[in-house]
Amino acid sequence: MADKVQLLTSIEKKTLIGKRVPKPDSRDKAIGRTRYINDMKLPGMLHGKILHAGVPHARIKRIDVSKARDLPGVHAVLTADDIPEFIFGMARDNRPLKGGKVRCVRDEIAAVAAESEAICDAALALIEVEFEALPAVFDPAEAAKDDAPRIHEGKDDNFNLKYHFGSGDVKAAEATSDVVIDETFNVHYVTHVCMGTSCAIADFDPDGKLTIYSQTQYPYNFKMDLAPALGMHAGDIRVIQPPIGGAFGSKLDVYPYEPVCVLLARATQRPVKLMFSREEEFINAPTRQPVRIHLRAGAKKDGTLTFRDIKCLLNNGAYTSWGPTVPYVMMRTFSSLFRVPDVNIDCQSVYTNNPYAGSFRGYGNVQATYALAIHTDIMAEALGMSFVDLALKNAQVSGEVTPQGAVLNECALAECLTLAADKTDFRAKEKEYAALRDAPGRFKRGIGMAASIHNAGGAKIHKSDGCGTILKLDDYARCTVITGASEIGQGIDAVLSQIISEELGIPMRDITIVNNDSAIAPWDVGVHASRTTFIAGNGAQRAARKARVQILAAASRQSNVPPEALDLREGWVVQEDGGVPVIKIDRILRQMHFSDEPELVMVSDYYEPPSEPEGKDHVGDMSAAYSHAVHVAEVEVDTETGEVKVLKITSAQDVGRIINELGLEAQIEGGIIMGLGYAISEELIIENGQVRNPNFRDYKLITSPEVPELDLHFIESHSSTGPMGAKGIAELPTIVIAPAVANAVHNAIGIRFHNPPMTPEKVARAIWEKNSSRAAAE
Amino acid sequence: MQVKPSGTLDEYLAPVTIEEAARALADGRASVLAGGTDLMLQAANGRTPYRGRLVNIRRIAELRGAAITGGRVRIGALTTVTDILNHAELAKAVPVLRQTADKFASNQIRNMATIGGNICNASPAGDMIIPLLALEAEVELASWDGAKIRTREVALEKFFTGPGRTVMERGELLTAVSFAVPEAGHRVRFAKSGPRPALEISTVSAAFAATCKDGVTTNVRIVLGAVAPTPIRARSAEALMEGAECSGDLAARAAKAAAGEISPIDDVRASAWYRTHLTEVFVRRLIEDVCHG
Repeated sequence: MADKVQLLTSIEKKTLIGKRVPKPDSRDKAIGRTRYINDMKLPGMLHGKILHAGVPHARIKRIDVSKARDLPGVHAVLTADDIPEFIFGMARDNRPLKGGKVRCVRDEIAAVAAESEAICDAALALIEVEFEALPAVFDPAEAAKDDAPRIHEGKDDNFNLKYHFGSGDVKAAEATSDVVIDETFNVHYVTHVCMGTSCAIADFDPDGKLTIYSQTQYPYNFKMDLAPALGMHAGDIRVIQPPIGGAFGSKLDVYPYEPVCVLLARATQRPVKLMFSREEEFINAPTRQPVRIHLRAGAKKDGTLTFRDIKCLLNNGAYTSWGPTVPYVMMRTFSSLFRVPDVNIDCQSVYTNNPYAGSFRGYGNVQATYALAIHTDIMAEALGMSFVDLALKNAQVSGEVTPQGAVLNECALAECLTLAADKTDFRAKEKEYAALRDAPGRFKRGIGMAASIHNAGGAKIHKSDGCGTILKLDDYARCTVITGASEIGQGIDAVLSQIISEELGIPMRDITIVNNDSAIAPWDVGVHASRTTFIAGNGAQRAARKARVQILAAASRQSNVPPEALDLREGWVVQEDGGVPVIKIDRILRQMHFSDEPELVMVSDYYEPPSEPEGKDHVGDMSAAYSHAVHVAEVEVDTETGEVKVLKITSAQDVGRIINELGLEAQIEGGIIMGLGYAISEELIIENGQVRNPNFRDYKLITSPEVPELDLHFIESHSSTGPMGAKGIAELPTIVIAPAVANAVHNAIGIRFHNPPMTPEKVARAIWEKNSSRAAAE
Repeated sequence: MQVKPSGTLDEYLAPVTIEEAARALADGRASVLAGGTDLMLQAANGRTPYRGRLVNIRRIAELRGAAITGGRVRIGALTTVTDILNHAELAKAVPVLRQTADKFASNQIRNMATIGGNICNASPAGDMIIPLLALEAEVELASWDGAKIRTREVALEKFFTGPGRTVMERGELLTAVSFAVPEAGHRVRFAKSGPRPALEISTVSAAFAATCKDGVTTNVRIVLGAVAPTPIRARSAEALMEGAECSGDLAARAAKAAAGEISPIDDVRASAWYRTHLTEVFVRRLIEDVCHG
């Protein structure tokens, strides 16, 4: 059958893979058209607000909400007395509203639903609370003592989660070491500072089924985790994820404001929206997990690493979210970053009266890499080597298996190290700056390197790490893809469209991605762990290939060309060889649909990555791919004011294969900037359980003028398991940057900072102390 | 979060003349709105509750703008920080004002924030105040005495009595700030703590003014911000430098003396140690810049 346009001689294969593709929603976001969850209003909607304890540890002697209930415009006031004792949280230690006593300043003791936020505020002010202060404990080492105040009743002590991993014989390995370095690091509290503050909208239907508009990153398990906090069946909860202003891990758990919002909706039988003010957000949103890391490790004279012996103490805070589980990832770095056979790791979290941490981009790896990459630099210095040479000496090669069982297929660590060093003239500059350390002059320059490893093919921390995809094509070759993968700003919408466009030979504009509604899209574990491009991308590719097979079979029947000799390009079925057009895709789809044996192209796929959960011994190949990144930081330190100016960051990262170069760059740039804040300016200052700087004035984010020159290099190792060879990329940039800056600062002024951030005061003080002790010695 | 009452507003007035404004303020039951960059935040967080009546002075055209006449600079209270940044004549006559305005908050805040508001807010960290003190500026205050406008002038140095507190009486309106154009050779410089180039509240700020002629320093003024309950002049450091030869370790000695005159606090932004340290660093650098630069 001659199609008219068969006169066209040939259609060449064009690809969008590796191209610079704008996110489909970027225009609407740029012009202010996007309606974020924080902007949403439902008909008849009330507003909700929470009364937080404001004190770190106290018995609630009396709480009287009668005046608040009497305020006109107030529809409900709830305390723990008004609801059954719903217990939730991964350690089952949390409740939506706290009765009896409070354990940290965040504790939710009452909640109001009213006609407006202003009435809510007025009502909260009318609630009378009388506390009886209890002895409080804020330091995990203090809280670990026998006589420390108990945070949770009915527990023998304040210990919570405990982790141990051992491999080989560290004592024997230490005996063979020429150098042993023993250092302790204290990494601090930072918070996500999402542009959109925490927000939920709860709406019940007449059958008692709940729709929750949520910022969650994990809609399906979110239902499972939210249900016990409400006494509901998880099946009766529908989760809709409107556009949000950032998550970065902060929305990977259920936090009390969410069930509180729902309980207010249930009590009022009206939709209720609960949204944090910025101050509330700073005080009540999760933080990054602070950790005290004691790291003892050895090497032989030639630089061969011999052992690592590590102890971590985690400030659990009052309740358990993902924060105290970061050792799962910390241990991976300690056992897998460079080749080291003998490893012993012990981690312990201890309850205190501090606020509590959640997950945060990079998870425990930001903390672990901060310690380990500085420790490696100290080791290199002790051995008279450059960081890069010590790292290269111990860099694994493809196929190696780490002590925890990670199989490093397509390992590009050495390439990352070599490229980063070559691009920055690292070895020469490192020597040159170190030699100038004690020369006169107010400004000192330094260069520093850091490296790390992270899972890049999902992370099997649940029974399944999969993602469901449903794909259909209509009579006009328009494709709708219903994916479990959540879009929260990270860019999976563009990536999936590119992959499907590639497989089906249709333009991106003809592809619609549908997701972010648990009643529509199939299951996915959530957007976290740098997994979505890898997992959902594989799923989309597999679904598209099923559709492709169906289309090619039909085209083959019609054209008598074998399907393996056909291809889909530019909206056409073509002959693979020479690109001779056979039939337009929409035409064959209509023919398939309206034939004697009608068929529609609608396929589904559930992709489960080839990874395995860790055993109790913490061994297992938990990701389907792993990746490395190396950063080189160049800094200038003002030795008088202590200001650290980051001049340039050079990044070399194994990305597997570039899918969307624009999205990739944006992720890496954003990650670096976030990590720079961790390094030099951001700290949530918590003293005696109170957040001291809950505002943008005193919580110092990196602003645009301080962003240094960024020189980004992508290494394409072509993952055998990733979609088109891609690996997950989003967390590594945040992980690697801070220790690179710390090593650069050391290179400049000869001082180590084991307690980030390297604020001007901290640096100035350290320089002053160094000069004072030097003067005293002379 | 503790919920704090922030006062309520039951009346709003938008006068167009100073007289109307003075009459609207006369009973002392009014809050003045100029740029609003401090007022809105402080009313919202309860620090400065609204007084019942909001008097928006932004429509009083005569309060906005800067002019140099008869050797004196006069800047209307409503002149924004952006106005100052963009005022070519002012920048030529008194470069330190542009230098300071450039380090003030962010573009958006500069567009709204007024010089009068920055002075009346009386923050020890108020950036524009610091060079104005080095210029020995005066403020003009207007009030309604029941029959007519009453005005008085107060030296800026005598204006501040504590954090957020001034000698201004309830009912008074700050209308302008003025100072003599610095004589030829008299240089004024400003410095503040970083590291952010914008949106940085000063941990320490400093201004230095002096005439360095034939190796001798005269007309010395050293002003320090955020290191005492009000911005201060470092009088003993000034005395040390006045008429002294600007050579050798004079800058270092004067800086040390200035650091001894402050009463800094420990707070979430910095320790007293760091404030003292930075004071010394800034004063020394400013002196070196002015006298040797």
